[in-house]
Amino acid sequence: MADGYSILVDTSKCTACRGCQIACKQWNQLPGTPTKNTGSHQNPADLSFETFKLVRFSEGVNGDGKPHWYFFTEQCRHCLSPACMSVAEKDEIIQDEKTGAVIYTPKTKDLDFKATLEECPFNIPRQDPKTKVLAKCTMCFDRITNNMIPACVKSCPTGTMSFGERDKILDMSKKRVAELKKAFPKAAALNADDVRVIYIVTDDPKKYYQYAAGK
Amino acid sequence: MGITRREFLVVSGAFGIGLALSKLGVDMGPVAVYAAELKIDKMKAAKQTITICPYCAVGCGIICSTDTTSKKIINTEGDPDHPINEGALCAKGAALFQTTANNPNRLQKVLYRAPGSDTWQEKSWDWALDEIAKKIKATRDAYFIEKNSKGQVVNRLEAIAHVGSAALDNEELWALQAMLRALGLVYIEHQARI
Amino acid sequence: MTNHWIDIKNSDCVLVMGSNAAANHPISMKWVQKAKDNGGILISVDPRFTQTSARADIYAPLRSGTDIAFLGGMIKYIIDNNKYFPEYVLNYTNASVILGDKYDFSDGLFSGYNPNAKSYDKSTWAYKKDDKGLLARDESLQDPMCVLQMLKKHYSRYTPEKVSEITGTPVADLLKVYEAYSATGAKDKAGTILYAMGWTQHTVGVQNIRAMSIIQTLLGNMGIAGGGVNALRGESNVQGSTDQALLFHILPGYLGAPTASLATLEAFNKARTPKTVEAQSANWPQNIPKYSVSLLKSFWGDKATKENDFGYAWLPKLDDGQNCSWLNLFDQMYAGTIKGFFAWGQNPACSGANANKVRQALAKLDWLVNVNIFDNETGSFWKGPGMDPKSIKTEVFMLPCAASVEKEGSITNSGRWAQWRYKAVDPPGQAKPDGDIAVLLMNKVRDMYKSGGKSPEPVLNLKWDYVDAKGHFDPHRVAKEINGFFQADVKAGEKQYKKGDPVPGFALLQADGSTSCGNWIYCQSYNADGNNMARRKKDDPTGLGLFPQWAWCWPVNRRVIYNRASVDLEGQPWNPKRAILKWADGKWVGDVPDGPWPPMSDKKNGRLPFIMKPDGQAAIFGPGLNDGPFPEHYEPLECPVPKNAISAQFINPTIKIFGGEMDKHLTCDPRFPFVATTYRVTEHWQTGIMTRWQPWLIEAEPQMFVELSEELANLRGIKNGEKIKVSSVRGEVRAVAIVTTRFRPFKLGELTVHQIGMPWCFGWIVPKDGGESANLLTPNVGDPNTMIPESKAFMVNVTKA
Repeated sequence: MADGYSILVDTSKCTACRGCQIACKQWNQLPGTPTKNTGSHQNPADLSFETFKLVRFSEGVNGDGKPHWYFFTEQCRHCLSPACMSVAEKDEIIQDEKTGAVIYTPKTKDLDFKATLEECPFNIPRQDPKTKVLAKCTMCFDRITNNMIPACVKSCPTGTMSFGERDKILDMSKKRVAELKKAFPKAAALNADDVRVIYIVTDDPKKYYQYAAGK
Repeated sequence: MGITRREFLVVSGAFGIGLALSKLGVDMGPVAVYAAELKIDKMKAAKQTITICPYCAVGCGIICSTDTTSKKIINTEGDPDHPINEGALCAKGAALFQTTANNPNRLQKVLYRAPGSDTWQEKSWDWALDEIAKKIKATRDAYFIEKNSKGQVVNRLEAIAHVGSAALDNEELWALQAMLRALGLVYIEHQARI
Repeated sequence: MTNHWIDIKNSDCVLVMGSNAAANHPISMKWVQKAKDNGGILISVDPRFTQTSARADIYAPLRSGTDIAFLGGMIKYIIDNNKYFPEYVLNYTNASVILGDKYDFSDGLFSGYNPNAKSYDKSTWAYKKDDKGLLARDESLQDPMCVLQMLKKHYSRYTPEKVSEITGTPVADLLKVYEAYSATGAKDKAGTILYAMGWTQHTVGVQNIRAMSIIQTLLGNMGIAGGGVNALRGESNVQGSTDQALLFHILPGYLGAPTASLATLEAFNKARTPKTVEAQSANWPQNIPKYSVSLLKSFWGDKATKENDFGYAWLPKLDDGQNCSWLNLFDQMYAGTIKGFFAWGQNPACSGANANKVRQALAKLDWLVNVNIFDNETGSFWKGPGMDPKSIKTEVFMLPCAASVEKEGSITNSGRWAQWRYKAVDPPGQAKPDGDIAVLLMNKVRDMYKSGGKSPEPVLNLKWDYVDAKGHFDPHRVAKEINGFFQADVKAGEKQYKKGDPVPGFALLQADGSTSCGNWIYCQSYNADGNNMARRKKDDPTGLGLFPQWAWCWPVNRRVIYNRASVDLEGQPWNPKRAILKWADGKWVGDVPDGPWPPMSDKKNGRLPFIMKPDGQAAIFGPGLNDGPFPEHYEPLECPVPKNAISAQFINPTIKIFGGEMDKHLTCDPRFPFVATTYRVTEHWQTGIMTRWQPWLIEAEPQMFVELSEELANLRGIKNGEKIKVSSVRGEVRAVAIVTTRFRPFKLGELTVHQIGMPWCFGWIVPKDGGESANLLTPNVGDPNTMIPESKAFMVNVTKA
């Protein structure tokens, strides 16, 4: 399925304004959860059944001694062949033919959560401990089927996030990586052939986040 | 208001999420995503109001969707037509929804704290404004300075001070400064000074 | 901003210094990114590697409080390497003007210093005049006493090595920044500066900005697309609140507040209206009498007549030299002389420097009126930590008000765009729009004064009819008053205006009482064409992002001010590829020109570009400020070094230092060995009183934190995420430690100095374990021109909790 939609996340432009993180909460009316500062600006600390979009912060020092600060605004990759679906038996998890969005239905409460999570290369699925239902980014399915773009993409000021037809997004991705390679030889688009949410990085993906490019 | 509703108009032939999912043969049942379905349908019928973000001075455009039945704001997101933000919003602007009455922490009652008290009392506007007006007059009558020590006419009041606000509208501010200056205040300051 | 947000995209080099624009004006980065997409570069100069630095092409660290050293080094670089724009400098700045013989500068002090008064006699800074009374000049720019040569001499001391010793910036980084930025001196290159509180919150705040203004005028960056001096203002309508003069020292439209020795309107107008003899200077302030009289007509309506000096006497007068600014206000409140206080949409218990003093001061009030949308540390001060309610007699009124979407009106962004916004829903419960609260309150006061009281005239004579048929505050009525009306039939040129017509623009305001105008710079905002602030047309004829018909900006919808400096003497743009303005077929095309006059080559009718300066030229030498005509590096009041490396003068010699029991400060002391600065985060707003009550935002930034270097953490045995205490001589705050590579110790010569940083968005009222305000630590000492507190550089200690 090469058609449908894709989202491009060009981390080289991200400023960690967290508009996307909050816009997702606002659109989906997800609650703000209690958090603590554990020595990072990253909060909540992880994705959850109430946090579908999370800006991950990581910092270090470059070869030239200057600091770097990477922002990785994570969400479900909406894989072309979702591994989580392999655990499903019927239609607990559905993949929309037209858009490619991978959607968890209420029936996911019947799935083996541990197994589902294990299958996902990106460590995305989360479970509501009360209802046992699984939750994650929906690609704003309700919006994209109504001539609107996902809330996170709309919120992004810098052009870090783009939404569109997959072939156009793949084009954009290739062009941008070629551009970035001049200053950043390690620039790459992660898992572009396998996922609909494609991240562009300028350094080793592990420096952004453990599972940035998958397990 | 003339906002383009290209993002909010349903192109003829398109449908709500409930219909979309039922086309996929899914019975959604009552969960978060289903609730979102109601939201997108409500938004199509909602009153759309243009506003400008109340936080930093970039001045991003925001559109509030108000449900005409409940009269509550059900969505806030960027105004795609605004030339500065083009629909984008940072964390604070994106959270504008939580400055509205949807936030139970909003002050909704006039409160008074008596001398020595450790609690608030609820009061009416009439009572509170009456009391404040009396205090303004009493303080002004007691401390108004007509002439300074040099005998120059100064007509000022130093015993009442005011700070605020960079969050008010221009029209409110102009009226407020006129009122304060007519009362003779000179200790007039606000966020710009700090 | 002299320019505006979208214009940033036109820049070849964006310098962000004294600002973390990515975090605090996040959507500005949309336009910075566009500048980068067009081949421009971003430079971030900051004590800490921030979100802005993460996107920058060049990052340079500098110790808080040393910006003048940094910029002074850049000025030296520009002159030494001939990077300035010669025709621009010669024609549009006072570079050629010769200084008077009395001017001198020696070892940190300018001529005319009075150590007892801690002030300067500025007359020694006056320019030389020729026998015709014109400014004496040397157009070859060689005379040793001409401004350009004196500039060169002044900054000859700011070598890269000396600068590095002061700022802690490696010399290589200094030169990288200097080289990149000074390249914008080329005719076809534009450089812009984005700055904010990182520059203003210092005892040398105004001079920080002066230093950059000098750089921008040397490089020819004023008035051009992608150039300018861009102050990133702090709040959604702080530009508006400043324009409408909610400050003691001004009246609406930046007219100076009247002082006691100016007993009549005539005396006021005479003193405040500058004169010039320079042939091609427009000296726009010569029109001030038209604006002051029109303002008085708006204040008092028909009660203001020629016979009663248009009600001038009813305006309160400051004593000559009296300063009622924030720090003095709270000092007076602490002393008990202020009985009643309005904290109207502001939270001084957390935003005031030396917040302990503010909180104690509040307890001395007889009465406090607090207007806000949420409970806050100011209105509830009496039950805050360390407060004993039984012993506090202050009566407090907490009045719930409308949020931004619950009323209608205009706000003005940093780019001077006044944008109208609408009401989505009614305010909840008892909450009222602030305008309604003001109307109801003042109506009651006026009623009471009808039966007598002290000096009732100004109270009763105030024009106060800003309500609709239902008695509600009517923003449209006020907006129209701000724009102004003809109060009599007036003929202007060919056109006949009738009494009651709106004034089309400030060029038609009169000094004889035949016009009223609440704020001359907003004249045109709501005229016969309608509410121009509500416009939403997306035409952009120049392609430079001016959007001339989106909303309305002051003055007269001119989007880039000083734009006459963007063209040569013939009116042709220095850079035709980004032409803001162009003279063609006998008229100006592009932005609204900064005055309709023809180009300068028309010796009779052409005018210089800096029309608000009496002599029409940009001031490289600026003889009007309290602390000197050239910026000079002085250490902050609290600093980590025993002396100033560049002169014998340790700190700014003209600052006011309070000496009361609550006004402690301590410099270069081993008990407080680390430099501290304060800043903001995207997720919270100022003191946090709007945002800490919002679950989505407090989730993202839940607790007070301190960012510190790995080296300092090691020194104190602090681990990332651990609870720590940070203290100054004024107070103590607990925080979570964020140990980071983004702060590094500064090498200042032989000395190693650590710096930490913290946000000031927390307070005791919510959340329970969120932490307290960083302003409990900051010093209440201010810039000698503005009295803005030095919240950005002071000394602290950090220990495990």
